[in-house]
Amino acid sequence: MSSEKTEVQLIIDGKRVDGRSPDDMRNIRVEAGVLGEADGSSYVEWGGNKITCGVYGPRECIPKHDSSPYHSIVKCRYMMSPFASSEEHSRSGPSRRSTELSKVIREVFENLIISEKFPNTQIDIYIDVLQAEGGTRTASVTAAAVALANAGIPMKDMVSAVAVGKAGGVMLLDLGKFEDNFGQSDMPIALSARDKKILLLQMDGMLTKEEIEKALDMAEAGCVELHQVQADALRRFYEGGEKESFRF
Amino acid sequence: MDKRIILPGERIAEGRLNAPNTFVEGGQTYAAVVGMVDEEGRYLALENRYRPGIGDSVVGIVTDVRHVGYEVDIGTPQSGFIPTRNIRINLQLGDFVLSRIKTVNEVGDVDLGEVRRLPAGKIIEFPSAKVPRLIGRKSSMLMLLRDYAGGDIMVGNNGYVWISDKSDIPLLLKVIKLIDKKAHKSGLTDEVAALLKAEKGELPAGRRSTEESYSGEEQPGEAEGEGPQQARQNEEPQENIYRDEETKEEGV
Repeated sequence: MSSEKTEVQLIIDGKRVDGRSPDDMRNIRVEAGVLGEADGSSYVEWGGNKITCGVYGPRECIPKHDSSPYHSIVKCRYMMSPFASSEEHSRSGPSRRSTELSKVIREVFENLIISEKFPNTQIDIYIDVLQAEGGTRTASVTAAAVALANAGIPMKDMVSAVAVGKAGGVMLLDLGKFEDNFGQSDMPIALSARDKKILLLQMDGMLTKEEIEKALDMAEAGCVELHQVQADALRRFYEGGEKESFRF
Repeated sequence: MDKRIILPGERIAEGRLNAPNTFVEGGQTYAAVVGMVDEEGRYLALENRYRPGIGDSVVGIVTDVRHVGYEVDIGTPQSGFIPTRNIRINLQLGDFVLSRIKTVNEVGDVDLGEVRRLPAGKIIEFPSAKVPRLIGRKSSMLMLLRDYAGGDIMVGNNGYVWISDKSDIPLLLKVIKLIDKKAHKSGLTDEVAALLKAEKGELPAGRRSTEESYSGEEQPGEAEGEGPQQARQNEEPQENIYRDEETKEEGV
């Protein structure tokens, strides 16, 4: 990220550029079961982020040599649409960035999915970022957890993720695009819902030890809130019974 | 009535509980998939993936004919296999079959036996977690559907549902969609009965599905009854292109 010499003023009178206070999150909306053909799916709107996630499987592992007779292979493909943000994204093939994000998201779910029940198979998680405004990896983890639950894939826990960082010298929860680009530090964190295990933690920039402790506390509070939103989405879906899950 | 929706990772019991779709960690039992707690306090899966179990009766479609046997799509990652020695009849590509799972090995390969070819009809996919609701207590729901639709229906544990061409298919699709939507609501059979009555009027006397030659036999699908053990799941997307055409040509 950029150095501390930034000229952009990110905190004015204790408020952030979009009017939030430091420990406020952006507005979040989660829907489950939005794609008819996927085994499980979800849609997340998180501030300016718009993300769909589709889950398929467990299904036959292709290529065969990737498969394991001991467990199911989790595959994740994070993709940012060419039109997702004001920056150039050209065509939406794999890039250095999307390969990394696919990997870290995959590792989150490899730790949660009870994959021993499905030998020689793969589980596919497809994440498409339709619109990006900072924090797409955390929104993607949040979306994929709902999609996997919707697909009926056995998991040890739900997971949600949020970024914590420092901008304008203040610790902030859920960094937006400007705070991410012009702030001092950005630390996305994924925490499991039940036992609060850290399943993803990355960091850009610098934080002191005390700041990291504060960041973890803020992330935990954020993840509790996020889990509630995820749970509400799934409850709404299953109580309403809206998904037409059988096909002809 | 307590109809709490349970999410993966939620604790459902103190101590160890050997129930499907759960896991034990640190001496506590947790839910592994989205489910609900029913009137008796049992945890039932609302969504899960079908895992073949020995003795399950499954509906499938023949996808490959080889000298040693037949490959059958039963909605599992690895397709089922009918060895030639387990079968006396000849099957053709695209045939619908009802059979029972004989063996499942540790990597999920399935061998089938007790094969019965199903006559011309249609196969639809139904979430296998909700199959017990489609069958009903002592197969009450299935009997209701058979009586009103005028043809036979076979429900596999794998969630594939075969509907005879003789039955009123549009009506059945409508009713099955309703069962899918309201699978976890109580009073479902009554609601379905009301819908069928509204669509078809009172059931004409003497018109019972048992008159059809093949439905007098034992229905493996019925033997299951209701219960969390049967709560099984959904399947992966399949290509259904040949399902209609093949049977029509064949004119069983």
